[in-house]
Amino acid sequence: MIVSPAVIALMLGSAAVGLLALYASAWGVRILRHWDLRSGSESQLQLEKRTYLVSTLMAWAFAFQVGSLFLFIFTAEDLHRLFVGAMCAAGTLNVNEFGYPTILLKVGNALLAGIWLIVNYTDNRASDYPLIRKKYAFLLVITPLLLAEAVLQGAYFAGLKANVITSCCGSLFGAEAQGPVSSLVGLPAGPMRAALIASLSITFASGLLFRSGRVRAGGLFSVSSLAAFFISIAALVSYISPYIYELPTHHCPFCILQREYSYIGYFFYASLLGGAIPGAAVGVLLPFRGIGCLQGVLPPVLRRLTFASLFLYFLFSLLVVYSISFSALIVEMD
Amino acid sequence: MSLIVLNGITKIFNRGRPDEFTALSDVSLEIEPRGLAVFRGPSGSGKTTLLSIVGCMAKPSAGRVLVKGREVTSLPDRFLTDIRRHTFGFIFQQLHLVRGISALENVILPAYPSGEGLASLRERGVRLLDLLGLAHRADTNVEWLSGGEAQRVAIARALINEPAIVIADEPTAHLDTKLSLDFMAAMERLKAEGKTILFASHDPLVYESTMVDRVLEMRDGRIVAERRAS
Amino acid sequence: MNWIDKQRNIVDFALSSLLRRWRKNLALLCVYTFVVFIVASVVFFAEALKRDACLVLEGAPDVVVQRLIAGRHDLISSGHMEKLARITGVSDVKGRLWAYYFEPSVGANYTMVVTEEAAGRPGTVAIGAGVSRTLLAGQGDLIAFRGHDGAYVSLEVARVFPSSSELVSADLVEISEEDFRALFGLPEGIYTDLTLRVRNPKETVVVADKIRRLLPDTRPILREEILRTYEALFDWRGGIVLAIFAGAALAFIIFAWDKATSLTLEERREIGILKAVGWETSEVIVMKSWEGIVISLTAFLLGLVLAYVHVFFTSGTLFEPVLKGWAVLYPRFQPVPFIDPYQVATLFFLTVVPYTVATVIPSWGAATIDPDTIMRQ
Repeated sequence: MIVSPAVIALMLGSAAVGLLALYASAWGVRILRHWDLRSGSESQLQLEKRTYLVSTLMAWAFAFQVGSLFLFIFTAEDLHRLFVGAMCAAGTLNVNEFGYPTILLKVGNALLAGIWLIVNYTDNRASDYPLIRKKYAFLLVITPLLLAEAVLQGAYFAGLKANVITSCCGSLFGAEAQGPVSSLVGLPAGPMRAALIASLSITFASGLLFRSGRVRAGGLFSVSSLAAFFISIAALVSYISPYIYELPTHHCPFCILQREYSYIGYFFYASLLGGAIPGAAVGVLLPFRGIGCLQGVLPPVLRRLTFASLFLYFLFSLLVVYSISFSALIVEMD
Repeated sequence: MSLIVLNGITKIFNRGRPDEFTALSDVSLEIEPRGLAVFRGPSGSGKTTLLSIVGCMAKPSAGRVLVKGREVTSLPDRFLTDIRRHTFGFIFQQLHLVRGISALENVILPAYPSGEGLASLRERGVRLLDLLGLAHRADTNVEWLSGGEAQRVAIARALINEPAIVIADEPTAHLDTKLSLDFMAAMERLKAEGKTILFASHDPLVYESTMVDRVLEMRDGRIVAERRAS
Repeated sequence: MNWIDKQRNIVDFALSSLLRRWRKNLALLCVYTFVVFIVASVVFFAEALKRDACLVLEGAPDVVVQRLIAGRHDLISSGHMEKLARITGVSDVKGRLWAYYFEPSVGANYTMVVTEEAAGRPGTVAIGAGVSRTLLAGQGDLIAFRGHDGAYVSLEVARVFPSSSELVSADLVEISEEDFRALFGLPEGIYTDLTLRVRNPKETVVVADKIRRLLPDTRPILREEILRTYEALFDWRGGIVLAIFAGAALAFIIFAWDKATSLTLEERREIGILKAVGWETSEVIVMKSWEGIVISLTAFLLGLVLAYVHVFFTSGTLFEPVLKGWAVLYPRFQPVPFIDPYQVATLFFLTVVPYTVATVIPSWGAATIDPDTIMRQ
């Protein structure tokens, strides 16, 4: 167990998010069981009031979730000095088997929580809560994931053991850090570049089509924007990061978050998350466009979501182009 | 078309508990645009409850309310609030001004969530206060206002969102005769402008006024009699 | 934009509402600021200690080789030096001489080291500021040391180390090799331990492995290892202090909860009015959230600035003893000021998150007052 202030902060944050989500779910269950908009009964009015509470709780939980994702990466980065063979966060996360699952779950939960908030927002626009049961069922899916994240993160930190002098010799000669990251590193740069350009192009093209009124393009847009998220991260590791480090051998997805690289990583990841969440939300909301009172509400919401997603992916593309063209590194594509 | 239609409205408080009581039972009513209607009756007759249901402040336990032809009883709170703040202006018995802020700030308070810029809000607020002869007191804290001035601030506040309907609950209960007459004069102007005005009152000075178009007598949660000015 | 204007109006009201209840909010702000101050001081101080220690160790040798006899550190002979020098990748093998010296008159332990600087001037010593303070000895004074045979040796203070590096140099006495050997009765060719440099830093681990196989009675200590130990140690101490202050934090949460739940009648009435004149529940929640954000950010910034001053300008007077531990020779530690977004983010999580969680439910409770309650008053 490593007890550093940041670790305490993260545990506290996860506990807070878990508690908020658990409390929200408890009301979610009651809403699922007793919701009846037609009834003017006291209990229905109380439930309606509770929906405000759940919205507020989840909004905060989401804010903490995104914050804790970045703080977690930052902490992993900072702790790497404690472990032999760890050069940066990639190694720290690999110290025990809970590191990578934790961060993957954190990213996934941030996506899910963001989508939930968008669904909730849309539902609140319509005059008769058309998605209320679906969104609370969705909430009941997210909550266990948030709790699992808290538990995994706890297990990860509890399993960290710093080397101290007295036991140095025994621990010195462990294997060098190897994680899932190393498999991403191996991806060839040329095809990776092609995949990145393709996924972003499809996202832009289908998004613009969708905005101009082709409803069918919406599904493609949603899928491609989510795919672009994962492809972009893989591309960051295998192909873009060496340009930022100006070192052909350095592929870390985490070092770009550091001061030395003017924190450019935050812009990369924030624009990617910001692009993926509304993009995915479009796909989640699209099937409900037929519901009566959503007919008037949904199209402007979808248009705005698409715009937000396209704008942030555009920002991301600019960042990529900027990093590559202003880099001192020139890579021969094979 | 009727501005507001109430259809079989019943309101029961604390349902299923020993202290359950029925404030309104099966009230049906139509309110036409323009004109001044007074709900009259002893305290506990359900006047205030009826006004709060008409004004979309509370939901009935049963029955339907239509505002400008739109059914509002099953609307979620946020839509109800939206309708309420664009349709109704309220003047409360106790005035209920927020202490510690100026008269002008009190007047523009209901319009804060509309997203109108503060500068233009202030301008409108001053104009309203000016109409009521209170522009010189705009920056005075409401604690320092006299009873009549406070009353006029409350009227200005009810008008800031340009509502079609002004609702006042026992507006003259705490006013002397002169101030009550001033108040009625202000209401007369509003009526002339084409607003619909609803009062709950048991003050003869109000319900016997010549400007009243309609008096609805209430007792035990029902409308028992109605008198229209010819 | 409409949305921005709306938020601006709501913030405007939230601020005026905070100012109208300045007594209550000032009390809250003070307690909140104090908690941020305490937590931030701990985090800054631990980090400053860590940085300082790392800075000093930067110049340390890559590998130190110590001889062990029966698991205890023992003196090492120059024979080992030749064997070490033959390992590929190893350069600059040197013998080091250092010892602990107990001074009964002040009850303190000094660390005596032989350095190249001191070698040139036998008969003199350079001392750390802590030693200088306890012995009241300045430059040019004579200090008497009791040798291994009971005889006293007087040495002149040639210089006192500047206090900037005090954390590590406080108890230091630099002495020439001749004086050292005479004082402790050590023959030539015997050293406390050996140091060496490794040309390629990536090979350090391999070299350490070779040393262990070549000289089974020694242990190699890597500079990296020491750095790690320091980091873990200071992080751990910071964590412990934080855990102690968790009590304070808990009290704070209860306080915040209480402040947020116990809405005064006046506040209830005000929210009732807002609801009655047409504010929507979520707008009132937003207003309450802005109130919370304003309080949080103000307390956070104030607490941060106070902690910064406390740690970097007054040397963290409040809990020096807990974090630094050890010895009579308290270094007067002057940490180098730094501001690191990582620490700030950590602190934000440690202080603002609990406050928000404690106040979100009460705010909601206040915001859902029925609008018609105001009609019934």
